[in-house]
Amino acid sequence: MVNESLTLDEVRRMAAEIGMTRLADEHLQQLLRATNTARARRKVLPLEEITPADEPAHVFHLAAEDKR
Amino acid sequence: MMDLAYLTVAEAAELLRTRKLSPVEYAKALLDRIETHDRDFNAFLRVTPELALEDARRAEVELMHGDWRGPFHGVPYGLKDIVDYAGLPTTAHSKILQDNLAATDAAVTQKLRAAGGVFMGKLSSHEFAIGGPSFDLPWPPARNPWNRDHFCGGSSSGSGSATAAGFLPAAVGTDTGGSIRNPASMCGVVGMKPTYGVVSRRGVMPLAFSLDHVGPLTRTVRDNALMLDAIAGHDPLDPGSANCATGGYTAELGRGVVGLRVGVIRHFYTRDMKADAEMTAGIEAAVKLLADLGAQVREISTAALGDYASCNRTILTSEAFAIHEKWMRERPQDYGALARERLMAGAFVRAADYVNATRIRRKMADAFHALFADMDVAVTASAMDPACSIDDPQAIEHTYARQARAPFNVTGSPAISVPVGFSKTGLPLAMQIVGKPYSEALIYRVAHAYEQATDWVKMHPNENRSVKMYV
Repeated sequence: MVNESLTLDEVRRMAAEIGMTRLADEHLQQLLRATNTARARRKVLPLEEITPADEPAHVFHLAAEDKR
Repeated sequence: MMDLAYLTVAEAAELLRTRKLSPVEYAKALLDRIETHDRDFNAFLRVTPELALEDARRAEVELMHGDWRGPFHGVPYGLKDIVDYAGLPTTAHSKILQDNLAATDAAVTQKLRAAGGVFMGKLSSHEFAIGGPSFDLPWPPARNPWNRDHFCGGSSSGSGSATAAGFLPAAVGTDTGGSIRNPASMCGVVGMKPTYGVVSRRGVMPLAFSLDHVGPLTRTVRDNALMLDAIAGHDPLDPGSANCATGGYTAELGRGVVGLRVGVIRHFYTRDMKADAEMTAGIEAAVKLLADLGAQVREISTAALGDYASCNRTILTSEAFAIHEKWMRERPQDYGALARERLMAGAFVRAADYVNATRIRRKMADAFHALFADMDVAVTASAMDPACSIDDPQAIEHTYARQARAPFNVTGSPAISVPVGFSKTGLPLAMQIVGKPYSEALIYRVAHAYEQATDWVKMHPNENRSVKMYV
């Protein structure tokens, strides 16, 4: 999970781990802001609304014609 | 002399069918208008006069032989430049794809070509339908025809701008978090995000697979229904395509709203967010008018706007980053700053958060659709504010998230933005009308009844003094 208090160096390391090694400092600053924004969104996801049996909106299914 | 710039699709169709208007003359008139005025608005990335005249000449021959294909035969249209037209680049308004030549037509392009439409060109977008308005891309951002110093909304920015400016009577846009309805709201035109899957996404550059919708922008409700008639339909090659009957979207126009049950989602724009006072006044006046016309209006509530927004953005950024990760590794410098930052938000979203957002989505959609057991349509805000200045990054950032459109990408519901007046500074105001899945004809019925009871549709920007208007 993303650390709660990210630094620019940490974001640089995380970016490198997923192959994003060409980011300039300006891009890393953007990534830091964007990641913080995404984490803020996560905190307000109404997770208390879902129970273990609640399925995702899009689930794998086979069409009738796949019966073979 | 007939003013062809603001001819509606319905008016043009009748004139073309009865041979009182030549499709070639019609196309030439709009091409002239684009050449003269689009330098002020940048609605087009690429105008295609040769293709337009080829389509128009073909339509003219067919119409002269009495072979009328339908309401789009000989009618000009444009495509947001994330939609493929064979042989032309689909750039997504980005340096990343500036040489990306489309090999085949998108499904929606195929349908408009089959309907006999006259293709006028590719329209400006926010970069990859997410980053804009941006001044650091190979092409400038589109501007608002009501005042070129103002934002025209997006991401289907050129579609809204071109339609409002009288360059086209109809354009195709796409909508993942509000991108048809935003430019419709900002530019004072009509924009429909149909039910998820009603219009094929095949051949359209995806932003987020499970939230992307394709739909029409026009100047009138009837035209919008006509265009949806032309582009809707099951496509077995689009895995998200709805396998259900489509069409007949004009069938309920003119039936009025007497007895229809209208739910007002007021908390979106008064409590969850506080809309601009003029926007709120415009919406409330529209709600009162619907009641005066005979609708049964009552206030309803649904999940908070913030819950919908967090769900939408978690899914959107996750799916979008999956698409863009390779380019983010190899060419991060080739994105504009806005698209890069907005797309990067998906880089480190946890898999569990994405899955949970889709689980919440199902719950929200089920709960919202259940409201229609005793309601026909819902009404709420689209944008919280009139268009802000285009070159004020802080204002753009402030207004970007101040909207109530994303909930209906989450629920997949059909939702239309219609004009409800103008601010004191002459900028359009708008509301949304939302229905249960596949109820587009009913939404058009309500929107049309409102439109017919007002004069907004008769107002157009004046290209010489864009903040002024004439009736």
